[in-house]
Amino acid sequence: MSAKDADRSIFADGISRYFGELRAVDDVSLNIGSGRIFGFLGPNGSGKTTTVKVLTTILALTAGSAWVAGFDVKKDQDQVRAHIGVALQEIGLDPLMTAGEMLGLQSRLFSARRGAAREASDRLLRTVGLDDVDPKKKVGQFSGGMKRRLDLALALVNDPDVLFLDEPTTGLDPASRLGIWDEVRRLNSDAGMTIFLTTQYLEEADKLADEVAVINKGKIVAQGAPADLKRQVGNEVVTLSFESPEAAERAERVLAPLAPLRQLSGNDVVCYFTSASERIPGLVRALDQAGIGLKGLTLAQPTLDDVFLRVTGERLPPQAVEEEDEA
Amino acid sequence: MSDILLLIARALKTTMRMPAAVIPNIAISVFFLFVFNSGLSSVANLPGFKGSYLAFIIPVSIVSASVGGAGTAGQALVRDIESGYFTKLLLTPASRLALVWGPMVAAAIILVGQVVLILALGLALGLKAAAGPAGLVLVLFFAFLWGMAFAGYAVTVALKTKNGAAAQAATFAFFPLIFLSTTFVPKEYITATWLKWAATINPTTYVYDAMRSLLIDGWQARPLLIGTGVMLAFATLTGVLALWQARRATQLG
Repeated sequence: MSAKDADRSIFADGISRYFGELRAVDDVSLNIGSGRIFGFLGPNGSGKTTTVKVLTTILALTAGSAWVAGFDVKKDQDQVRAHIGVALQEIGLDPLMTAGEMLGLQSRLFSARRGAAREASDRLLRTVGLDDVDPKKKVGQFSGGMKRRLDLALALVNDPDVLFLDEPTTGLDPASRLGIWDEVRRLNSDAGMTIFLTTQYLEEADKLADEVAVINKGKIVAQGAPADLKRQVGNEVVTLSFESPEAAERAERVLAPLAPLRQLSGNDVVCYFTSASERIPGLVRALDQAGIGLKGLTLAQPTLDDVFLRVTGERLPPQAVEEEDEA
Repeated sequence: MSDILLLIARALKTTMRMPAAVIPNIAISVFFLFVFNSGLSSVANLPGFKGSYLAFIIPVSIVSASVGGAGTAGQALVRDIESGYFTKLLLTPASRLALVWGPMVAAAIILVGQVVLILALGLALGLKAAAGPAGLVLVLFFAFLWGMAFAGYAVTVALKTKNGAAAQAATFAFFPLIFLSTTFVPKEYITATWLKWAATINPTTYVYDAMRSLLIDGWQARPLLIGTGVMLAFATLTGVLALWQARRATQLG
């Protein structure tokens, strides 16, 4: 099959995965065309990773059916595995092996011959920028960032049609994050890979994905192109900040007649408008008359965060940049 | 087939990088050999005892080494599960059998290396194998088989618990298997009825019988056939259990 007509789609029909009583993934349907970048957005524990695990044959489905790269994830598991690459959030590396050994073994388990495996290993080390690392260095001595890059390289050994990246930038510094974004775009445009990317960061989904689904508590709560989703919440977003959640609650009641689309979130009231500038004076006046002190006001374009807040009533966690654990 | 060879090679390589996982095991089996041989060798003077006590006790040293080998296999798997590398391997099209049996065969190969050492020590101490060099090779093969049987059990527990300490603790189950048997004296000398009974149903007894027949009596069909049958049956049983547990554990999460 040539690269052009390879089936690189992901199709899920009402898939569910329960752990006892917990419905980690609950009746999720997806239809992702070949060559797309799909962003799967949701907070911690929303079911993103479990969805990736059932689509990649690591976990069995409780209900529903799914096809990845044209193969049934229940019946053709070997075929699915042969055509996908997976980098999970929990990095899976053997600290006692070297990067080259791991890439070589992984290639050969995908039935590459010894010579081809060595070539692929060298090429992938260059791709992820690990070619200047001492080849004898054990992975246990790698830094957090190096491990993540090696993990990505391992996901690419079989030149996959569909690449699953589970929170690829969580815990990375901003520069490494931009590097991963460039790599995702390159793999998608040069190799035509379909990319299924999970993230907690709306910015990431917004920047990279052609299409986004928002998952919360195992269910998809919104789905579409990032621009379409943002349009659902209006064109402009006004965020009014108050001293306390109680003040915000009172303000929310006062603003009800002026802002039909609004959401309470902690100390903030978020209002969605088609055009906000002419509404702002009215909002401020109403608050003033009710004697509620306004602490701050921002006017912005809607983001996926606003979408998430609208559909779930909760905010996404803030962009956390954690320290890299340098070994 | 090439999958399992690749995974055996990898397991051997990584185990060799953790000498702490192998050395205590060698030390223990050598300890058994010296202590029991020097401390209990007068048993051989009892009327009716055939052969040297050294030839009688070497199989105990081998079987105790196979417990350590089993631990190695279980721990190797737990190590991979804990590091997440096992998931990486699951994501390849490699056969599930190769993923589980790779570390088991590797542990059994390491065990064979250890048994070569035990036999060499035995020969240095004056062991005369009645069945000759070919008999010693068969002893090595038995060690491999029994190592696989124990490794299958350890790997099953490792996959079930996904916990290194539990996999380690599970090897305690081997102690009754090793000691409630004809470990130190032939069955004829066991006077306690319960121990005689335990030794009769204990599969390890037939492993000892098979190895001892080669070292003491020469080529005898009966103990060799029974021993081979028992070892094959157990290796198959625990091997299948390990594979079944791998399918279960990996799909159920």
